[in-house]
Amino acid sequence: MKIAACIKWVALRPDIDPLSGSVETDDRFSGVSAADQAAVEWALRMGEAWGASVTVATVGASIAESALRDALACGATTAIRIDIEHPLPSAAVGRELAAALADADLIVCGDWSLDRGSGSVPPFLAHARGAEQACGLVALSLDATGVVRAERRLDGGRRERLIVRAPAVLAVEGSTARLRRAPLGGVLSSARSSIDVRTPSTPNPAEPVRLVHARPFRPRTKIVDGPHGSVRDRSNALLGMGSTRTPPQRLVLDPEVAAEHILAALHAWGEIDDPASAEGQ
Amino acid sequence: MPDFEVVVVGAGPAGSIAALSLARLGHSVCLLERGPFPGSKNVYGGVIYGRILDELIPHWWEHAPVQRWITRRGTMLLTDHQSLCIDYRSTAWAQAPYNGATAYRPDFDKWLADEAVKAGATLVSSTTATGLVRTNRGLVGGVKTDREGDLMANVVIACDGVNSFLAKEAGLYPNFSKDHLTLGVKEVLALPRQEIEARFGIRSGTNEGADLEIVGGTQGIAGGGFVYTNLDTISIGAVLSLGGLSASKVRPEEVIAGLKAHPSLAPLVDGAELKEYSAHLIPEGGFDAMPEVVGDGLLVAGDAAGLCLAAGLWLEGVNYAIGSGKCAADAVHEAIAKGNFSKAGLVSYKDRLEATFVLRNHRKTRKAAHLLLSDRLQNRYPQIACDLLEQLYTVEDPLPKRGALTIGRALWKGSGLRIRHALRDGRDALKIYG
Ligand SMILES: Cc1cc2nc3c(=O)[nH]c(=O)nc-3n(C[C@H](O)[C@H](O)[C@H](O)COP(=O)(O)OP(=O)(O)OC[C@H]3O[C@@H](n4cnc5c(N)ncnc54)[C@H](O)[C@@H]3O)c2cc1C
Repeated sequence: MKIAACIKWVALRPDIDPLSGSVETDDRFSGVSAADQAAVEWALRMGEAWGASVTVATVGASIAESALRDALACGATTAIRIDIEHPLPSAAVGRELAAALADADLIVCGDWSLDRGSGSVPPFLAHARGAEQACGLVALSLDATGVVRAERRLDGGRRERLIVRAPAVLAVEGSTARLRRAPLGGVLSSARSSIDVRTPSTPNPAEPVRLVHARPFRPRTKIVDGPHGSVRDRSNALLGMGSTRTPPQRLVLDPEVAAEHILAALHAWGEIDDPASAEGQ
Repeated sequence: MPDFEVVVVGAGPAGSIAALSLARLGHSVCLLERGPFPGSKNVYGGVIYGRILDELIPHWWEHAPVQRWITRRGTMLLTDHQSLCIDYRSTAWAQAPYNGATAYRPDFDKWLADEAVKAGATLVSSTTATGLVRTNRGLVGGVKTDREGDLMANVVIACDGVNSFLAKEAGLYPNFSKDHLTLGVKEVLALPRQEIEARFGIRSGTNEGADLEIVGGTQGIAGGGFVYTNLDTISIGAVLSLGGLSASKVRPEEVIAGLKAHPSLAPLVDGAELKEYSAHLIPEGGFDAMPEVVGDGLLVAGDAAGLCLAAGLWLEGVNYAIGSGKCAADAVHEAIAKGNFSKAGLVSYKDRLEATFVLRNHRKTRKAAHLLLSDRLQNRYPQIACDLLEQLYTVEDPLPKRGALTIGRALWKGSGLRIRHALRDGRDALKIYG
């Protein structure tokens, strides 16, 4: 079994000029996103649980090697960097990663990168590999070798429970795991480890979108309804004057009675159904 | 088997130079830094005096990340509404090899650490040394870190800055007292480059800069202030005695706000945008407050050894850190050659410090802290000097002009100061600056 994690080197604290919109980045304040770190952690956990090797890969310039070394220090087996100077479109990144990780059974990515990422690399990668994909994962647990039980975020606060089997590409959110702290020995040996640097198979893929003329984004004027009522009424409404409200109460009660009071108050405010009828059901 | 011959803790100027020198001498050396990169955690006012780098990094000025070269140096006395400034300018300082330079520490320290790495040192960042590891012979033989696993070495050089936990753990700070420390606070304020040049009277379009050191203006708290120019920011701050600060119940940022509002400084910083606020301790105790700097398997350098020169005219720490880092490296080189890492084997460090500007200057200025933080130097003399000039420059026709001596005598009398105190201060000042 072979596991892989994909990470992207991004500016973590870009400086954006409020007037021109130009972005300045500083390598000292760059690294990988929390989601990508979580991806590496999950790959390492899978490697440990299933006795699998873990490869960590990135498409990026040489500066990104420091993130690969961090992953090696944490326990990844090998690291691959596909050497590019200029950013590639997501589809091309997906293809490059698919080619570099052709023998990986499960590939874990961060859900989306911080630099205006659209979260499209994992699906492109899955497509290029002909593998299943599970994106937007908010919880994972490892099952039998090559099987992951995952929970995925859906619209409207809903969740979908999935059983994902290798070969597959998983995209995890940053909250799912925190990357472990590398041991000192790992840090020292990773500084000496070699990184497999590869040239991209299609160095200059045709841009899917051709930018002809760029203008600053100017949203249309929003029409806002004018104020209603007299100035006095409006300031009264703002200050809550003249409105009736229940004054706050301070009660000292036993926990059980306190809980009943809280439920009754929530019901009275319309926040929950009648607790008594809920109990009956 | 140790991991390295030497572990240097702290990639500030002291640590990076110690690591660079040892790596150049062919030793395996690890430079440990708690911040994500060297300089990320470091605070200082802003001026670096680089002469000590001439030998270590030839033509350093062509590579160092400098903001401005100081060509204007002012010493300013402030009272509530007055100021008196000795303003010195020199175009000679605008040319190589230069005198002082402003630089941002995240840039400067990273550059210096990169030089050490280029020389062969191994930099391990985001890793804090949490304690010392002792060998079974009782010598320091490495450090514990906040990562799993210890870092073992023949010698540890503690360059972990002021209030060094490693030196304390080794028992080298027996007389540690808060009275030996001051608090440095600083704001970095952004202004357009041309505006800075116009306000500070700097030749426009050049990277020349100004350095103002201030006595007074610190709301009665013993200390001083400073204003330095960077390319498109100004650093303004204060150095405050810890005892005075806590007794005054004034918050440090209020002291900076007071400086910014002073009529002599307000026009310099007016309308500038606050970019950064920082605070850091400074070991200002001087020669007499220095800790032990040599232990069994351990040397202490830079601020950790209390080697920051704060003597009124001078607030210099980076050059002393570099100087002591170099001395530590040479002493360790000698100890490695002899194979003796005990205190006796490392003791040449102290002699090396004594032989260079590092301890010579500290010895010469040993009374500076006491003199400079006294009420007379902080408040009384500046007040008399400003009042003297105010009365001398005020035209009071039809009254006849009074001479400086007459005014001075009257002011002295009114101040309640004693001649013998003034004489003693004069003698001390002569010893320090004479
Ligand atoms: C407000 C202010 C103004 C100043 N102005 C000037 C000035 O204008 N000119 C001047 O020359 N000097 C100035 N100084 C003094 C100067 O900053 C110091 O003297 C100098 O930085 C000392 O260098 P150092 O290498 O000894 O220590 P530091 O620069 O403090 O470096 C110590 C390093 O050790 C690291 N470290 C600490 N503990 C650990 C640990 N346990 N494990 C790993 N790493 C650790 C820190 O992160 C840091 O990188 C000023 C200081 C202050 C506070």
